[in-house]
Amino acid sequence: MSKTLSIVCCVLLSCLGAIAQTKFTISGTIRLKKTGETIIGATVHVAGQSIGTVSNEYGFYSLTLPSGTYSIEFSTVGLQPVQEEIVLTKHTIWNIALEDASQSLKSVTITATGKQRNLSTPQMGMEQLTTKEMKNIPVLLGEKDVLKTIQLLPGIKSAGDGNSGFYVRGGAADQNLILLDEAPVYNASHLFGFFSTFNSDAIKDVTVYKGGMPAQYGGRLSSVLDIKMNDGNNQDYNVSGGIGLISSKVNIEGPLQKDKSSFLVSARRTYVDLFLRLSNDSSIKNNSLYFYDLNAKLNYQLSKRDRIFASGYFGADNLVVGNNFGLKWGNGTGTLRWNHIYSSKMFSNTSLIFSNYNYKINVKSGANDVNIFSQIRDWNLKEELQYYISQRHNLRIGFNTIYHTMRPGEITSSQLSNFNSSRLQQRYSWENAAYVSDVWKATDKLDLSYGARLTAFSILGAGDFFNIDKDGNILDTLHYKSGEFVKTYINLEPRLAVSYKLTDISSVKASYARNVQNLHLISNSTSSSPTDRWVASTNIIKPEVSDQVSLGYYKNLYGNKYELTVETYYKTMQHQIDYRDGADVLNNDAIETQLLFGKGRAYGIEWLVKKKAGRITGWLSYTLSKTQRKIDGINSGNWYNARQDRTHDIAVVGMYQLNEKWSLSASWVYYTGDAVTFPSGKYLINNVVYYYYTERNGYRMPAYHRLDLGATKQLRRRGRYSSELAFSLYNAYGRENAYTITFRQSKDDPNRTEAVRTSLFRFVPSISYNFKF
Amino acid sequence: MKQLLYIVIVIVSLSACQKVIDINLNNAAKKYVIEGIVTDQVNGVRVKISQTMNFEEDNTFEGVSGANVTITDNNATIYVLQETATPGVYSTTGFKGLIGRTYSMYVQIGADTFRAVSTMPREVYFDSLGLQDRVVFGETRRVPTVYYSDPEGKGNAYHFVEWHNGVQESTIFVRNDENTDGKSLSIQLVSFSNDSDNEEKKIKTWDTVTIEMQCIDQTVYKYWYSLDAGATGEGQSATPANPVTNITGGALGYFSAHGVQKRTIIAN
Repeated sequence: MSKTLSIVCCVLLSCLGAIAQTKFTISGTIRLKKTGETIIGATVHVAGQSIGTVSNEYGFYSLTLPSGTYSIEFSTVGLQPVQEEIVLTKHTIWNIALEDASQSLKSVTITATGKQRNLSTPQMGMEQLTTKEMKNIPVLLGEKDVLKTIQLLPGIKSAGDGNSGFYVRGGAADQNLILLDEAPVYNASHLFGFFSTFNSDAIKDVTVYKGGMPAQYGGRLSSVLDIKMNDGNNQDYNVSGGIGLISSKVNIEGPLQKDKSSFLVSARRTYVDLFLRLSNDSSIKNNSLYFYDLNAKLNYQLSKRDRIFASGYFGADNLVVGNNFGLKWGNGTGTLRWNHIYSSKMFSNTSLIFSNYNYKINVKSGANDVNIFSQIRDWNLKEELQYYISQRHNLRIGFNTIYHTMRPGEITSSQLSNFNSSRLQQRYSWENAAYVSDVWKATDKLDLSYGARLTAFSILGAGDFFNIDKDGNILDTLHYKSGEFVKTYINLEPRLAVSYKLTDISSVKASYARNVQNLHLISNSTSSSPTDRWVASTNIIKPEVSDQVSLGYYKNLYGNKYELTVETYYKTMQHQIDYRDGADVLNNDAIETQLLFGKGRAYGIEWLVKKKAGRITGWLSYTLSKTQRKIDGINSGNWYNARQDRTHDIAVVGMYQLNEKWSLSASWVYYTGDAVTFPSGKYLINNVVYYYYTERNGYRMPAYHRLDLGATKQLRRRGRYSSELAFSLYNAYGRENAYTITFRQSKDDPNRTEAVRTSLFRFVPSISYNFKF
Repeated sequence: MKQLLYIVIVIVSLSACQKVIDINLNNAAKKYVIEGIVTDQVNGVRVKISQTMNFEEDNTFEGVSGANVTITDNNATIYVLQETATPGVYSTTGFKGLIGRTYSMYVQIGADTFRAVSTMPREVYFDSLGLQDRVVFGETRRVPTVYYSDPEGKGNAYHFVEWHNGVQESTIFVRNDENTDGKSLSIQLVSFSNDSDNEEKKIKTWDTVTIEMQCIDQTVYKYWYSLDAGATGEGQSATPANPVTNITGGALGYFSAHGVQKRTIIAN
């Protein structure tokens, strides 16, 4: 009897033991061995099981497993994967340093097979470029520009020659949230869109979300462009730079204390103005056109669990025409961040962010000396906790509070001038958001990401707000004192994404996301110029809301050499803003009297085929889409094409490693022209010809296409010093793409009217010498 | 701010090229175009009626005959306008416009009727006209400059028309007093037409420059402003649009009651 009892007890105890078998967490930071840079999105995979995780934005990973022995693989694109045998009997810290994939000098095959794309992550509508991948993008104007490169991907359209900004899935140029180390950047380009404000040498990771944004992002309807900078080499000093025809840049990084702290300084300036001075034409000589960027970053590992970062960005464009006119615009941001590892399962990041965007115009004409100044300033506090609960759940909880101050226009003038000094009211608003999201590995094949973001946008005094009638006449003015709440808009943004693995190499995904936007860009020019005006929601201007559903199919082909992505989306937008006919948007306090509101819709299908391995890499992208608006008071209240509606958008990109020294790149883009309003008649007023318009955006600009070529030659290495020459030719076959089409009376015969096409850049060459030591 | 945008476009066009192209435009159904003015001058009451033309047609004025045109003064006296020798131009010598009076125009053509209302604003004295030197894109040009004092109180609006050696300048010069209320002003009228670097357009010695200053009401200011912003075909506005008219019934054009002052100068 006792023997049976003891056997039963033993069995029971061992059962209990099995049930109560403890789980332990292995966590740590994944870095690049050579520089100490943390690696974002590195895969941590348990061999033989479909269990794994991915390193977060600061290189931190955490994986909870039952006690036992595991073979864990750490890998990421372009680096040598590392396999570790780990005996897990307690919570373990395991930091990893990855090395560059060995590049044999004999064969220039970059990788025999590409790294398997992760098909089970529920995130869709996303494109990511890591440091390694950014070395392998086409050269444009002698530079590798990430902003230009993402415009070669499906669903992301460039705004065209001479225009800054880009459109994502039918959204307007202000519906993209551009973040540089978490700080928002309001104007991300220089020189009429030719250069972006991002110095590719200093960038670690670029991720763009076209849809299905996770709950930690909010504030813009159409996309999130999240750019993370390098921290700075904490092993060794490194100087790199480039001298080019149009601009030059330098990048200096190094450790302050090896392994513990490092800094990074990166600067760039253009000198187009020096060339202008060489001109004999005095009308060109007195002009000035330059821009600069300065990035600085410092990080310090306070303890094993704490790390702090300080970073700043300053950049501006300066345009001076003779002594009549000057225009200066710029961004400035500063960020202070603190990473804290509470436990092996809990990672926290706290950020304090300051961001400033302004432009200043100076006009001198006769006795007038007028300065016009406009600014938007943000103070932002963010806190996020990443809780790696278990193998199957990964939780993110956070909040974000932003205080916006906008000075939409200030006119100061010298005493003698004709203009009165005046000031459009400053506007204050306070934006609060809290979010929760979970990534749930439901089964071996099914992964879900679900969450919600709750936002409260409060408009504050001091200020005057208005009630207007439907024709835009002011009915009464409401006065608010400083700090008084005018109105608060509360919105819930659910986010949901699902992925289902069909086979080992293919999956389907679906997602739904609601986004709310409270800062709106009102513009009134042919191109999105920096003098567009940022306006916050008011008692009349409601927050814009978008709902997007998308569906996608993904397949890795030929042993991961190729990737196929097909995604389709449907997006509805509410409270879209357009301006009345004859609106004066530059000088009107009650801007709401100039605006009309309505809705929008956009839908399309995107194809992307990428070749990731071999001597030739590149991609082919095709988007078929439509985007429309319907606003009472425009186009008789009927649906009309939004300006950025382009039916077809094609990009073919190729990079070819010819031999050890030479690499070539080419990219060809083709897209249907923008929807545009052309006259359908003309008439005379006071003996002058004017044009008569019927439908809004009922015509099309001619199709746009362009080929860019690039070639890079590696020069001889001398010890630490390596250099290369990069050549590029923008618009290689010189197509005269239409920038605008205007109408006028013919010079030869004033009785006739003619259409004139203006095109901008053809055959723009560029050479730059890049060095590194 | 039109100046600003124009400058930006010109800078960008340092490397730009322009080409005349063929373009296929729809032919919209014709619309009536009515230009009605009531001024304080002799023979200063006139209504011109024409229609929109297709893009390929000649830019000549083709008047519409047989319309019934009347103008009512302060809802009291109705004056009937008769067609003159020029088809499409209707006028009357029955009255001269007076400050402060509200005039209503009524036009009936076939089955269509159009109405508009305009009040003649108080006259602001056109002090003088001069020529100033102005540096435009590196070269010095002589620019007509008007001198006047805007009265205190917002709501004044002005429209200037320029003739250079008898030829009318096509640029629209229109101003309000949003930023200049109550100030004594010297305003340069700078032409920004497509061929402003055309030699003939420059003001040279012995050239005659005549400026007509009209004190217009707010609805007419809105008309000229929006006409200039949206319908000149020069592409400064992202969304070209028809101007905001004060005529109801579906016609293009405007009806303006304004005082007229003219000054002429000979360049020395």
